[in-house]
Amino acid sequence: MSRRIAVLVFPGTNSEDETLRLLHDCGGDAHLVHWSRAKTLPSFDAYVLPGGFAYEDRIRAGAIAAHDTAMDHVIAGAQRGKLVFGICNGAQILLEAGLVPGTGPVRLPTAAFTRNGPVAHFVCTHVHVKLNIDPARCAITAALPRGTLIPAWTANGEGRLAADAARLQELQDGNHIAFVYAHPDGSVDDTASPNQSALGVAGLINHNGNILALMPHPERDAWTFNHPDKRRGDDMLATSGGAVLFRSFVEALART
Amino acid sequence: MAEAANVALRSDELARIRERLGREPSTVEVHAFDAQWSEHCSYKSSRHQLKRLPTTGTFVVLGPAEDSGILHLGEHNGERYGIVIAHESHNHPSQVVPFEGAATGIGGIVRDVLCMGAHVIAVADPLRFGRIDDPHAHQRYVAQGVVDGISAYGNAIGVPNIAGDVYFDERFDDNCLVNVVAMGVVKESEIIHSYAPAGADGWDLVLVGKATDPSGFGGASFSSLTLDAADEASNKGAVQVPDPFLKSVIMRASYRVFALLHEQRVTVGFKDLGAGGIMGCSAEITAAGGYGARIDLDAVNVAVDGMRPEVIAVGETQERLLWAVPPSVTPLLLRVYNEEFTLPEIAYNARAVKIGTVTADKHYVLTHQGKTVMDVDIEFLTGSIRDELPSSESPAHEATSERPLVTGVQLDELLDRVLAHGDVCSREPLYRRYDAVVRGCTVIPRGAADAGVLAPIPGSRLGVALAVAGNPRYSHIDVRRAAEHAVYEAVRKVVATGARPIGLTDCLNFGNPRKIDHYSEFVTAIDGLARAAEKFHTPFVSGNVSLYNESASGKAIPASPIVACVGAFNDIGTVVTMPFKAAGSVLYLIGKPQAALGGSVLLDVLGRGDEHLPRIDYETVCAQHDLLYEAAQARLLRSARAVGNGGLVVALCEMAFATMRKGQPYVGAQIDDSWQWTHGSVGDLEAYFGESGGFVVEVAADDIEAFEGIADDVPGVCEIGVTIDRPMLAIHDEAFDLHRLRHMWYAPLREVYP
Repeated sequence: MSRRIAVLVFPGTNSEDETLRLLHDCGGDAHLVHWSRAKTLPSFDAYVLPGGFAYEDRIRAGAIAAHDTAMDHVIAGAQRGKLVFGICNGAQILLEAGLVPGTGPVRLPTAAFTRNGPVAHFVCTHVHVKLNIDPARCAITAALPRGTLIPAWTANGEGRLAADAARLQELQDGNHIAFVYAHPDGSVDDTASPNQSALGVAGLINHNGNILALMPHPERDAWTFNHPDKRRGDDMLATSGGAVLFRSFVEALART
Repeated sequence: MAEAANVALRSDELARIRERLGREPSTVEVHAFDAQWSEHCSYKSSRHQLKRLPTTGTFVVLGPAEDSGILHLGEHNGERYGIVIAHESHNHPSQVVPFEGAATGIGGIVRDVLCMGAHVIAVADPLRFGRIDDPHAHQRYVAQGVVDGISAYGNAIGVPNIAGDVYFDERFDDNCLVNVVAMGVVKESEIIHSYAPAGADGWDLVLVGKATDPSGFGGASFSSLTLDAADEASNKGAVQVPDPFLKSVIMRASYRVFALLHEQRVTVGFKDLGAGGIMGCSAEITAAGGYGARIDLDAVNVAVDGMRPEVIAVGETQERLLWAVPPSVTPLLLRVYNEEFTLPEIAYNARAVKIGTVTADKHYVLTHQGKTVMDVDIEFLTGSIRDELPSSESPAHEATSERPLVTGVQLDELLDRVLAHGDVCSREPLYRRYDAVVRGCTVIPRGAADAGVLAPIPGSRLGVALAVAGNPRYSHIDVRRAAEHAVYEAVRKVVATGARPIGLTDCLNFGNPRKIDHYSEFVTAIDGLARAAEKFHTPFVSGNVSLYNESASGKAIPASPIVACVGAFNDIGTVVTMPFKAAGSVLYLIGKPQAALGGSVLLDVLGRGDEHLPRIDYETVCAQHDLLYEAAQARLLRSARAVGNGGLVVALCEMAFATMRKGQPYVGAQIDDSWQWTHGSVGDLEAYFGESGGFVVEVAADDIEAFEGIADDVPGVCEIGVTIDRPMLAIHDEAFDLHRLRHMWYAPLREVYP
């Protein structure tokens, strides 16, 4: 039986259509589930939380949505091992819900994506993220080659990972840092992060590796037409770039 | 009476109303006519002038008659698709409260596109600010607040900002310009019109959105008066409060309604609430269908109790739209907006609610607490009123010299100053605050070419380009030609991406129409717009007029006809971007430099005054545009850029700067002596800094023969140099370090937008 993916839409979510489209193009059986239909969530096999400004990002980005009853279903599923993938605002929600890195109790976050540095403004810019763990460490990345470099767009005002030194050490020791920012040639240094994120972190996973929280948007650089400089005779409608991560997610789901 | 009631209606207009009604108008009626007969709503001094613009053509699906215009983009899977486009200003509100003013500008224009049944796919912002060198001046606060407002609103609703421009000029110190363009996509068979369709007698009028509150009362009149610093406090009350969070939900709920209506095959009317609020919208949507309307103001969802009827009727609370639907469809609307998308839980008392009925009797009636508070002939209320205003030809200024040859100035010194000029320096610090890629359809974001490009229809190769233009340095020299250049530049930018220009919109920002010199500029600019649009076969399908742009001291802004151009791609595989692609390519200049530096950045840097603006030889220019299109179709162009502010040398620098990202190869350029390719017809300064138009294109060595084959009979194409594999711009015997130049170019706005 086909494994069904819910793309969860909160009031203020704004990236659901392209997220759904890319899941479809990568072979996923994905469906939008709006907040007023959250009761249907338990019947799905995996959850994708797309980008946007859920509940207007009141208090902190993702904070209100993390306490929405819709998230009860996501938390319950995640704890039973269902795959959960949050992008940008979806990633912020997963951290606020305490699911990632998951080193504390549910809904008591131990790390947060917070105001960008050096200037606390929304920044939209093209980036690359690099797989920083053994691919098999996380089910969602398991189909990717080691050190995979993925193009993406960062577009947020609160994408800088912040946590105290002990918590950051915990993230490193527990292999939670799934993705770091990198230069286009794959090199990594302090200048690769667009927002001074701690340890250059772009994406985190939980201990069991079934939940991924990624700040940049791979789905915005996922079809050849999104990066027209790299073509000549390419099929502009083919998936490419950031689609590798979505494909890996869909493949992981098929294995469960 | 008008004075006391704080309205902008003139005494002769009030007398006309009294005579027609045969009685004193009620308070509600005075405010209703004040809004509906304001310049903002009625276009009373501009409408007859606008009729001179070309508005028809092959690609026109809907010309300027409703909330947006529509251009035919192409066909996909047997369906015809249209690009919906609207263009507006939010100048006065942005000068007073920049953040909210600019944000509501986006909010309003997005509704104009949405209500055509379209999905909103992009916005673009042409901005004109005053001097920003003083960190404590109001002008700097305006320049920052406007960008923050655009960013906060556009990003939240999930519409990418893909194009725009910005100029800084002291003549905008007291009156900034915040224009906004919004674009949508719609199946042409599913367009929803801004009027109650045939057979609508007895239909429901359903209001959707934010609870009506006292904000934005008097907004239409406010926009039709000049700004007076002394009135700043009361003006602030006329600015509406934006709610992008609610708008985001309303947009998505409306998309759902569009799909359901299409399934049921019902034809309905849908319209944005803008100037004149509930009254303006309900009167126009019904009058345009040949009906009247009866509205129960007590049915309106309000935010506070005890609001006076005139405030409910004409207040301009944001985030509202109005449907005209058969009563059988009303439950569907209420269910989708109120239950599925839970509007009442999103914002206080937001909802969809029936507020009135379409009537056949052509009366416009408002009731409040059981009493009729307005009852007028709807055609008298909404029919075109017209002000005949005196104007004369606005003359071109005499050039101060025949040939503005500048000698004795070094290229290197000028290059630094031109690159750091406010109209040339990098816009990235500003536009990186806008989301350029939400929706996942972006092909070219801002900064990667002269126009933004989208692939708006999933699964289709159709593409659409959008660019804006309007150079305030040109208009004081020659308004007519400045207007022609606005069209030419917008078209040129679209052509530079490989698109075919298919249509235009305009926002005409001018001074006080009751001053003959200001109004003459407006009239003369329309001559120029009409001429250029005809020559390029790009009709105007929508637009906006913003008059009274002057300060209390009576200083008008530079005449600012701002133009947006839409371009179409049959196949987005033919898109051309700006960054150089590889060393060893040949660079061509298409469009020979002219001996006309008028209005150029160079002359501004040198402190030189009025000179001739460059001529536009339409026959030659159209041939050059055809060449660009043909070469892009044949995929012979590695990169291309339109020559504009700062001239050829700035175009070359920006093509090189765009390659300069860590971890990728840098590409520079080596340019031949200019006398070789201009044949000595102009001097070096005109060749490198002149702004007469044209393009730089990069052609791979293997493609030279093919390119020159199609360029053979096109005038003004010359080979000017090659690309090189280091970050260097070599001109003559001099070599400029592009790292240093890039810093000069990037730094100025970084300071304002850190």
